[in-house]
Amino acid sequence: MTYIKLALKNILRHQTRTFLALLGIATSVALIFSIISFNRGFERGLSKELDATGLHFMVVSSGCPHEVASLVLHAAVVPKFLDIDIVNKLKQFDGIELISPILITQLPNPQKGRIDIIYGMDMNHISQLKPSWKIDGQLPSNDSEVIIGFEIADHDKLKVGDMITYTDYQKSFKVSGIIQKTGSQDDAYIYMPLKAIQEILNKPQGVTAIGVKVSRPQELNYITEEISMNVPGIQIVTMGQVLNSLANLAASAKTLSLSIAIIAIIISAVGVMNLILMAIFERTQEIGMMRAIGASRQDIFNIIMYETIIITVSGGIIGIIFSVAASGIIENFVRIFMPYVPSGRMILFEPLIAVSCLVFALIIGILSGTYPAWKASNISPIEAIRG
Amino acid sequence: MIEVKNIEKVYQRGSERVYALKDISFIARKGDFISITGPSGSGKTTLLHLIGCLDKPSKGFIKIDGIEIEKMKEPDLLTVRRQKIGFVFQHFYLIPGLSVLENVMLPLIFARKKRDLDEIISIIDKVGLKKRIYHTPNQLSGGEMQRVAIARALINNPEVLLADEPTGNLDTENSENIFELLNSLNLGGLTVIIVTHNPELAGRTKRIIKLKDGKME
Ligand SMILES: Nc1ncnc2c1ncn2[C@@H]1O[C@H](COP(=O)(O)OP(=O)(O)O)[C@@H](O)[C@H]1O
Ligand SMILES: [Mg+2]
Repeated sequence: MTYIKLALKNILRHQTRTFLALLGIATSVALIFSIISFNRGFERGLSKELDATGLHFMVVSSGCPHEVASLVLHAAVVPKFLDIDIVNKLKQFDGIELISPILITQLPNPQKGRIDIIYGMDMNHISQLKPSWKIDGQLPSNDSEVIIGFEIADHDKLKVGDMITYTDYQKSFKVSGIIQKTGSQDDAYIYMPLKAIQEILNKPQGVTAIGVKVSRPQELNYITEEISMNVPGIQIVTMGQVLNSLANLAASAKTLSLSIAIIAIIISAVGVMNLILMAIFERTQEIGMMRAIGASRQDIFNIIMYETIIITVSGGIIGIIFSVAASGIIENFVRIFMPYVPSGRMILFEPLIAVSCLVFALIIGILSGTYPAWKASNISPIEAIRG
Repeated sequence: MIEVKNIEKVYQRGSERVYALKDISFIARKGDFISITGPSGSGKTTLLHLIGCLDKPSKGFIKIDGIEIEKMKEPDLLTVRRQKIGFVFQHFYLIPGLSVLENVMLPLIFARKKRDLDEIISIIDKVGLKKRIYHTPNQLSGGEMQRVAIARALINNPEVLLADEPTGNLDTENSENIFELLNSLNLGGLTVIIVTHNPELAGRTKRIIKLKDGKME
């Protein structure tokens, strides 16, 4: 028999009490584990989505609120149109590989009772801008064909060759291709030839953004500086900025929820401390006996410390198992509150986060065990066993 | 051999000095069987705790196997306790969640010693509980619990067994059985010192130390 076994048997003596204390720790650790894992998943998902756009930066009209501008890569509808002349100006800069005018807008789709997001672009650029796409069917070969994202096809039960009609504009489009599931926001859009949407909106030259791909990404900073100095009336949104502003959003949500979790863990640590103090009080004579039969103060301190740590660390393990098992539910819950969450699984089991959470539970155990253990080690054997 | 010489134990109770023990001297040789008797509050427990190295006398000295314990610091006292003393209490003090076997093994954890399972079981056999090693205290009678406590006190092969009213919580029959167990251990060569209120049992030990108001009569 060892210390640890002795400690374990001791805490099993009051199962209900132990269970409640354990539950408190498990809940708090589950919270912390989920929050950190979610945040990691968020950043991972975000950079995956941004990689999938294939663009280095977007040019939008100046005067757009920055938040909207930074969401342009995710097909936010930018209210202000750009001067088409800017395309020609951009062409004069060195090191630019591709300039792709884009018009993102919303079209009411009364047949489906919903508003479609239309991503108007030059269909010849798709192979360069969306290299990872796999398309069932073909790219549009004329201005009355579109390709659609997986979710649209799935939801509307659309097949290649089906028609989409916008009755308000008396325009019909044939679905020439369906993009296979990307797991990103791309799944939710309808991709239309730029000319077609310009015609519908009666803006023959209208674009809301210009996507730019540079030849050498390392020159990105230099090129964007050059452009913003020489071309008035525009703002440039780079991938890095988008990443940052969305990551900031997630970080502030993380800070807020972590503070709540920290409060929860303090409460449960106090609960554990209370449990252990109660147990010591009830076991005063037993502790006195152990001192009399050869336990040192340190031995008593260690036993109590082990008891506390067993509770907090096993609470931690249960919390992590719970978070992983319930990650789907937790994710859906968080998606309700976050304005933007990349698609795909956010909470994955990451050993490093799990280990950190367990170390944290260990520290909580040490913190909440120190006072009771010290108190127990100070029990005078002669006082305790007299009688 | 245990030598107690002119010891005094004073407690400070507020401004008052309470003499729990005054001028106590005696020698317990190897194989002795001593009972300490006297009315409540006469200092019996205090004396037993001093011999058991749980406390130090205010005056005088105690030698256990030639080692003067009143000059020792706690770590050394602890070693003496682990190696030479076996304690038995009136209220048994077994740990409820542990089996008989585990309760008996408890002092080994603190002494950082290992013993073969066979040896441990033979000690439990000595107290007559070999068939019940996996039972827990709540499945045992008072007499059986005290037997477990005695086995626990024997596990480190002590020089002396100290028992503070070991039969105080038991009925006549169980008291008799426990006393007989202590007697047989003494016959096997173990030094035994017990505190008892029972004059009949005290009369059957080799020597009686009578205390009154902290003094030997
Ligand atoms: N810590 C203490 N402080 C003050 N007085 C004490 C303390 N411990 C014991 N005493 C006193 O010492 C005397 C002897 O006590 P004790 O050895 O327990 O007697 P017994 O075991 O014979 O009943 C009693 O008067 C008791 O009140
Ligand atoms: Mg007493």
